[in-house]
Amino acid sequence: MNAVAVAVHHGLLERDEALACLLGAHAEARAGTGQLVLVSGEAGIGKTSLVHAFAATLGPSTRVLEGRCDGLFTPRPLSPFADIARATDGAFAAALERGGAPEVFDVLLDLLAWGDTILVVEDVHWADEATLDVLRLLGRRVDALGALAVVTYRDDELDRTHPLWRVLGEIASGTAVEHVRLEPLSEAAVAELARGRDIDAGDLHGRTSGNPFFVREALESGAGHIPESARAAVLARLAGASSEALGVVDTVALAGPEAPVWLVERVCRCSSDQLEDALATGVLVSDGDEIAFRHELAREAVVETLTPARRLALHRRILGALAEPPNGRPDAARLAGHAEAALDRDAVLTWAPAAAREASAARAYREAAAQYARALRFADDRPLDERAQLLEGRSRACYLADDQVEAIAVIKEAIVLRRQAGSPQEEVRAISELTDYLLCRGHVSEAQTAVAEAERLVADQLESGATAQVLNSRAHLVWTDDIGRAVELSRKAESIAAAHDDAFAEAVARVSIGTLELRRDLAAGRRLLEEAATQLRATGQKEQAARALNNLGGYGALVYDHELANEFLTAALEYCVDNTLDLWRINVLALLARSLLDQGRWTEAADTATWLLEDPRESPWPQYEALLVLALVRARRGDPGAHDSLDASLHVGLSPEETFAIVDGAAARAEVAWLAGRPTEVDGATRDELGRAVARDSEQDVARLAYWRRLAGLESTGVAENDADPYALGARGDWDAAAAAWSQRGCSYEEAVALAEVDDVDALRKAYDVLRGLDARPVAEMIAQRLRRRGVRKLPRGPRRSTRDNPVGLTARETDVLRLVADGLRNGEIAERLFLSRRTVDHHVSTILRKLDAKTRGEAVAAARRAGVIVDP
Amino acid sequence: METYLILRRSAWRDLDEAEEARARAATESERLSELVEWRRSYTFAECDGALGSVCIYEAVSPEALRHHAATAVLPVDEIVKVVETVVVRPDPAATAA
Repeated sequence: MNAVAVAVHHGLLERDEALACLLGAHAEARAGTGQLVLVSGEAGIGKTSLVHAFAATLGPSTRVLEGRCDGLFTPRPLSPFADIARATDGAFAAALERGGAPEVFDVLLDLLAWGDTILVVEDVHWADEATLDVLRLLGRRVDALGALAVVTYRDDELDRTHPLWRVLGEIASGTAVEHVRLEPLSEAAVAELARGRDIDAGDLHGRTSGNPFFVREALESGAGHIPESARAAVLARLAGASSEALGVVDTVALAGPEAPVWLVERVCRCSSDQLEDALATGVLVSDGDEIAFRHELAREAVVETLTPARRLALHRRILGALAEPPNGRPDAARLAGHAEAALDRDAVLTWAPAAAREASAARAYREAAAQYARALRFADDRPLDERAQLLEGRSRACYLADDQVEAIAVIKEAIVLRRQAGSPQEEVRAISELTDYLLCRGHVSEAQTAVAEAERLVADQLESGATAQVLNSRAHLVWTDDIGRAVELSRKAESIAAAHDDAFAEAVARVSIGTLELRRDLAAGRRLLEEAATQLRATGQKEQAARALNNLGGYGALVYDHELANEFLTAALEYCVDNTLDLWRINVLALLARSLLDQGRWTEAADTATWLLEDPRESPWPQYEALLVLALVRARRGDPGAHDSLDASLHVGLSPEETFAIVDGAAARAEVAWLAGRPTEVDGATRDELGRAVARDSEQDVARLAYWRRLAGLESTGVAENDADPYALGARGDWDAAAAAWSQRGCSYEEAVALAEVDDVDALRKAYDVLRGLDARPVAEMIAQRLRRRGVRKLPRGPRRSTRDNPVGLTARETDVLRLVADGLRNGEIAERLFLSRRTVDHHVSTILRKLDAKTRGEAVAAARRAGVIVDP
Repeated sequence: METYLILRRSAWRDLDEAEEARARAATESERLSELVEWRRSYTFAECDGALGSVCIYEAVSPEALRHHAATAVLPVDEIVKVVETVVVRPDPAATAA
């Protein structure tokens, strides 16, 4: 059936294009390229009707997995997938029981890989954080799945800070994502619906604004006139219902979105005839097991009519019934919501913390934080330690939900309560948490004070896991200045943690030891971190596994070991994306952006920085670094916007104690000013910071800042002799050696800049060629002038042709993968051919599609042929 | 979106080549419509007989313009941001074509 025929068959008007889009996406998915279709529109616009009309066209061989997000209370984590679990075998239910978004996504992959399957997730404007994570993963991978996913949401009630926007922004840029926005009906369509009735269609259209739900309710209400609102239309339908039927309607309104029949029977103590009466009003529907409102707007209309006393009484009865379900476990999130609405303090303190723990386990941290806050609202007269425990739970959930400021404020409250309660061991643990949060935001001196206090407390205590945590914190604080002591502290922490079965503190210590070892013996440190990463992945210690990969790749970036950086930052990124470790993900992206800049891969560096800035999270440093990278790419190419990025970096809230980042910023400002030929600005950007670097005796920072001063013809003193550091060599005027040192590090732009200072025509010509290859116009022009002054004529102008040959910036490996895609190979076959894992190939293909901005593999191949990246034999 | 001016020096040998490039630019700017919007271009004669162009685009960032140029296989010599547009008289049709 075509789209028009389907629409007519289901009484849908003006939805032909939307249906055609769904049918087309389904055809694409069946042909092997998965699709994600986002269906949006205001409440009552007909999103669900559209999806149902589409589903009705599908043959028996197509399986539709359907789930819906809760619109009530604090959402239950992963609730749409609980719907799907009920409709499928036990694997899904087990995954839900076990974990969070990544686990659910893995099972979802298996389900979607089976035959022709369509996933429908409705009302994601109410989705919990873990469900949003599943959608993000889906958006990234859907093209490789060969399945269709349809996601619906209301877009009229989302404020600008709604977390769905961020997720939509991320997935909408995906390669196989379509967006269908449903618009109100035209007057002609409303007239069509009202045909045969004694109603003025123009008036009906005007009053309902063409909202299909309102139009139908108005037509079905039997009020004899057009009701003034959708709410009035719904209530008109209930006007003649019996008090028993209204009891059922009220109960479903408060217990929904879907109320089990057993619950309604228990709460209303009603007969099946009375249930039938309630269904006969037309506002409710039932599948035999559950009763729901035909539309969420109708439910909202009924809730608004309930008096506070009526609501309280009903919530109490629903709470009592839900606490003892006929089968399965009680639903803690739902119970916590009813408990609060019923003002039942004991029940809130039973169910809200339980719901919070379940939400945390599912990585729905925003919901976990809200459940802890709910418990705390009722905990004023509870013992100090119990309140402290709730605060600690809330603090951790806030931190993981990217609300670090709130996390810090809340953990400080917990510390005060632990002290008042005389619980020193718990106080130490809370201080360790605080220290982590403070260091994450670069508040070093406050962290110093906190650790000193924790050390004072553990001195009087028996040794425990908390002792190991304090040692880990202290090791972090001496990290840069005293590597020997940091190793010693971490080793001690590792053995104490092992003795007291504190797996977390042991993992932290282990990753610290490996990271510190890198600086003494690269191979040994790498071995330690690789082993740690493997073991931590296996034992599910994801944060520390990510930290191990991040540190290994980050060290590569720091010492210009590009191979090390590429291998482990890519692995870290993949791991963080797959496991929705967002705080680590942005950290890895910042390191990767910097490393790509150093490698001369500017397009990729700018893409990576942009990716980070589109979803920045709260930590200041990664945003700051990304803005500096973007500024440098722009300035080095002579593109506009470098100053905008530098200015923005001043407003991300970077702590003035993050010295290395401050020096990064000063160096970036100096470079941008030097490129613009403004030595006074170079002086302004570096003078004070150089003074501070000299005062703290940091050879590296002094050399880095003095380098730009020397290039700008400014005075700089105090640069140590260090033949291994290209900055020190340049700052002392040995540009030949500096160029060689940059060359050794594989930094061609920096090499060319150094060569430009060598008074030699061959060196200048070499630099000029390199810079044209990089599209580095400002320095290339600077060198061209110098060459002309030396009598060189006929310099080629503009970017070198070869840079136009692989204009889309694919890596060699990506080009290999793309050639095999062009040969028609599937990802599994490509993996075998190139000795890569299937997942790595999936990742390469996604990157290729992103870089070529293609929606399908076919489009990517066509774009690559157009751009000359692949040439037919 | 901001307005940018893109300079493509000695980009094409003749009008046929420029025409092909124009077709690619149009296709790609249509495809990347969320990132870039092509306003107009002026093709000019270089001293050596080659052709160059000045193109006026709206774009979300200079990176978006470079991405567009890469996928449409167009050279980029310089990108500058337009801060003010002064139209004294509309372009004559022949020049705008």
